[in-house]
Amino acid sequence: MKLGATANRAARRFISSLPALFGVVVFTFLLMRVLPGDPAVFFASGPQAGPEEIAMIRAQMGLDKPVPQQLLLYLRDLSQGQLGRSLTTGQPVLVDLRNRLPASLELTLTALLIALVAAVPLGVAAALRPGSLVDHIVRFVCALGVCVPTFVSGLLLIYVFYYLAGLAPDPTGRIDIFMSQPPRVTGFLLIDFAIAGDWEGWQAAARQLMLPALTMALFVVAPLARMTRASMLASLGSDFVRTARSLGLSRRKIVVTYALRNAILPVLTIVGIVFSTMLGANVLVEKVFSWPGVASYALDALLSSDYAPVQGFVLLMASIFVLVNLTVDVLYGVADPRVSVE
Amino acid sequence: MACALLTFTPWRLAKRGRVADSLQEFYRGKMDIMTRIKISLFAALLAGTALTAAAPAIAQTRAETLRHVTGAAINTLDPNMPGSTREAFGLSLLTYDRLVSFGRKQLDGKWVFDLDTIRGELAERYEVSPDGLKIVFHLRKDAKFHDGTPVTAEDVKWSLDRAVTARSLAAGQMLTGSITKADQFRIIDQHTVELTLPQPDKLALPNLATVYPVIFNSKLAKSKATAEDPWAQEWLKTNTAGSGAYIVESFKPGETTILRRNEDWKRGPGNSQAHFKRIITQTIPEASTRANLVERGDADIVIDLQAADAADLEKKGRLKVISTPQYNAITFVSFNTQMPPFDKIEVRRAIAAALPYEDMFKAALFERGKKLFGAEWAGGKAPDGSTFPIVQPLKTNLDEAKRLLTAAGFPNGFETTFSFNVGQAGTAEPMAALLKESLGKIGIKVDIQKLPDAQMSTLINEKKVPFFTEGIVAWLPSMDYFYRNFYIGPIRWNYSSLNDPQITEWAQAARFEGDKAKYAAYGLQLNTRHFELMPQIPLWQPSQDAVMATSIEGYTYQFHRQIDFRDLSRK
Amino acid sequence: MTSATLRHTVWVLRGNPVTAVAAGGAFVLCLVALIGPWIVPHDPIASNVANALKPPSAQNWAGTDQLGRDVFSRLVIAARLDLAIAASAVTLSFAVGAVIGAVCGYLGGRLDRYVGRFVDILMAFPLFVLAMAMVAALGNRVENIVIATAIINLPFYIRFARAEVNVRRNAGWVEAARACGDSHLSVILRFLLPNVLPAMAVQVSLNLGWAILNAAGLSFIGLGVKPPTPEWGIMVAEGARFIATGKWWLVAFPGLALMLTVLCFNLLGDGLRDILDPRMRT
Repeated sequence: MKLGATANRAARRFISSLPALFGVVVFTFLLMRVLPGDPAVFFASGPQAGPEEIAMIRAQMGLDKPVPQQLLLYLRDLSQGQLGRSLTTGQPVLVDLRNRLPASLELTLTALLIALVAAVPLGVAAALRPGSLVDHIVRFVCALGVCVPTFVSGLLLIYVFYYLAGLAPDPTGRIDIFMSQPPRVTGFLLIDFAIAGDWEGWQAAARQLMLPALTMALFVVAPLARMTRASMLASLGSDFVRTARSLGLSRRKIVVTYALRNAILPVLTIVGIVFSTMLGANVLVEKVFSWPGVASYALDALLSSDYAPVQGFVLLMASIFVLVNLTVDVLYGVADPRVSVE
Repeated sequence: MACALLTFTPWRLAKRGRVADSLQEFYRGKMDIMTRIKISLFAALLAGTALTAAAPAIAQTRAETLRHVTGAAINTLDPNMPGSTREAFGLSLLTYDRLVSFGRKQLDGKWVFDLDTIRGELAERYEVSPDGLKIVFHLRKDAKFHDGTPVTAEDVKWSLDRAVTARSLAAGQMLTGSITKADQFRIIDQHTVELTLPQPDKLALPNLATVYPVIFNSKLAKSKATAEDPWAQEWLKTNTAGSGAYIVESFKPGETTILRRNEDWKRGPGNSQAHFKRIITQTIPEASTRANLVERGDADIVIDLQAADAADLEKKGRLKVISTPQYNAITFVSFNTQMPPFDKIEVRRAIAAALPYEDMFKAALFERGKKLFGAEWAGGKAPDGSTFPIVQPLKTNLDEAKRLLTAAGFPNGFETTFSFNVGQAGTAEPMAALLKESLGKIGIKVDIQKLPDAQMSTLINEKKVPFFTEGIVAWLPSMDYFYRNFYIGPIRWNYSSLNDPQITEWAQAARFEGDKAKYAAYGLQLNTRHFELMPQIPLWQPSQDAVMATSIEGYTYQFHRQIDFRDLSRK
Repeated sequence: MTSATLRHTVWVLRGNPVTAVAAGGAFVLCLVALIGPWIVPHDPIASNVANALKPPSAQNWAGTDQLGRDVFSRLVIAARLDLAIAASAVTLSFAVGAVIGAVCGYLGGRLDRYVGRFVDILMAFPLFVLAMAMVAALGNRVENIVIATAIINLPFYIRFARAEVNVRRNAGWVEAARACGDSHLSVILRFLLPNVLPAMAVQVSLNLGWAILNAAGLSFIGLGVKPPTPEWGIMVAEGARFIATGKWWLVAFPGLALMLTVLCFNLLGDGLRDILDPRMRT
């Protein structure tokens, strides 16, 4: 009964988000057409790149038709699961995205994990003594993380830990180039290496992840810690904690078992939002660390006015955004039956 | 943080044999002596096993592997695909063979490709008929494709037919060597092919050495062709059907390409195979990271560093830096000669007199290149007509600039924009800032436009940019080729939109001029006229800084500005 | 400001030295932005190639760049442009967002649903890529960077204002105003918005820092303001390319300026929240 209701809610919620996805598709399509660069000219790089060659590429990209017709054709392709072909890589966009998405996801999830591991204790510590020195220090440390552009912190980390100290591996992608890749199962190297039982490879992949993940994590510790602190404060001030205190339960038990457990739920909802924002915002981190993810792929395509990859990327990001929000809502509904999802 | 890194790095540290020290230092004072001994014992063990077991195997393959890093991406395995990157061209030289290839010569002590020496590649020799209208190629009998089938005249015919017929980049290039139709190629026998030309053309043979006319395994390619795609262009984007020195082992567009040596290819020095067993090309977008990689020895060779990094690495002296001025390229400041006020010669000459050449060369290029300014021309006549570009009599003279500007009717200057594309920002931005400052002194107000690459090429193609900087390259850098491709007609590469009947006439005449002295006489007129008209201000030929491990030898600057890895070896 | 608010402010600042320092920092920044052109030791645009890439010295306190320009002078001059970009971007999204949000929250109905859809679309976009695409499409001029930054901030302001107004629209004092014959417009402008603005002001301060970083990111990929205009983001982005050669001053000083500014605004935003609404502090 309850399960059915949840599924029903999720389905309704999903359907109600479809117009937004459609809007994203159309808007991106039009935005790309407004770009002043003509991809056909850009990619017609031959020595005699005359009007014929440009016309040839334009026809190949379908740009010789009027824009409304192009849009309809694009929507038709989309409905058949086609995202077009990238001129930058020469591959179908779908293949590129499928190959690159795990890299972005793995990086973002690792960064999120690092951020959570740092943020939750910081937030709890701050909430236990609001207004104290600890509180101020936490606040300051978090603010420090958000005030350096990611490309600067990334380049500095590379300079210090790779170039000067030699502690980190060379910042050239997901795995040491001289190591062999694990057989692809999920596309997540850490999982694939574990499945293959290749622990040396697993370590190599993990080392490669450290610096970019740290760079990204720095940026999201602040909102997570702030949220933890707020919801912890609310939870510490609530009736059940007061009751627990009056019953003389140990402080540790009160904080960890009662307060924190109740405080973590709102934090998890914000994690969903943080995750989808990070996934779209890690363009510069991927660039700096030569990470073969989807964001750097879209950036290159955008600068060369290569329409299809950008459109595919935006659609992918928007879908993930919708899915993540949906998941969070559903989980929230399961955890707290009072919440209803409209 | 330090802790997290340490737990993840024992392997690397062990490789360097430093794990014991580091761990000891890290834990010093934090634990009792027994624990410390245990840890160092463990660390020593770890280091020992890593060094004895793993290290030699890795070291061996590492020495036989060449790791190349670049900022750009290889996007196709078929160099004929519209949109192919320069790196894709570079790759095709390794995976495919052509009938002929360029020889090399020394220029100011550096090895560079030589347009005038064409040697056989798949053709073991060729003969040109006395009237220059027929070229006969005799194929090597031992050449084999990667799948083991022998290379035959049918393959050559199919491949060259494809070059002139298929909708690809090749046709436009072949045209410059009077090669336009499939019926120009004729099979004489299994190992002989004949090319017929409508008129003798100096550039016919060199064109066959460029990246496009590669020889495909026609049986394999034809088996992948379809009715809509008779030349198998779709399949060949991601597959190779060649006979080249290397075989593609893995190809991830925009990430990594790994090549394995073709053991059957024995056309290296002394009929040997290529030196390196494996070649890895990796895309590393950040230039400073590329510099770090090669400096730390993790990468073996890189040719696209920022000038500042190359200068720094050269100064440190731990790496080999071969810096070759790109003698087939020019960086210039261009005017659109059809757009006012740049339609006035005086305005163009005024600007040419106002540019701070020396400062620009220093700030933008760190003096890494060949200057094309500062010459003396006796009587205003070009001293040399056999080549292009030649050093121009350009000097900074603000008084002269002011005078010319007044003569043009702009005593108080004017306002204009100066554009460059984002991809060139590293050198163009400092240059533009200096240009703006200097032109400000003669009253010309410049607004700098930094445009995304696709936008810049579109605007240039539509001839809508009044004043900008660009660079040009000619694969076949003969004097008339430059004039015909960059200064004539309504084509895109005629950046300055120059439309001068005399330049057009002389350049077309020079094309088929067989007599060297007469050719040079045309060149003298062209070079002189070009300077007088000042459609563009040639600035310099930037250096290609090849930075590599000291053990790497044999580097040659190539026409396509990529590394021909078949030349390289490790001492 | 009433004396009670003032007392509250002083009380909060005393218990909250970080905010006090941040407020001081923000004040100094604004001052520098105002009087910058009169206090710089060198012309920030004038090149001197002979003196290029020199480390910090008595002559050039923060060293010189690739063209021999004084980095310190460029930093000081850049303050005005950077603050202006951030302030106008945030003001724009604040003003537009507050009005749209308030109207939707107040009127509800079909308009509200349409705007809600639009906001959903914007929220689903990967924001930095959207900003990049907009600047690329409109051209990389200062005003376009401002517009792009404002647009990607817009959804948050609209949602915020809408939610706050929606809660209050049936409150007794709103009903009273309406009963007195006030038009919808006047109810929104005179009664509802003033009640919502303080809470939104907190967001403004936090967003200021973020807007500066956003502009810096755009500069890094080549979509920043035009050279040779000094701007911190561009200076950092250019300096970052000299990290490998050890020219640290080119990235360190602009990076520091950027960092301190963003830090000030973020801490100030936190503090403002305490002052305006102690219960809301999170």
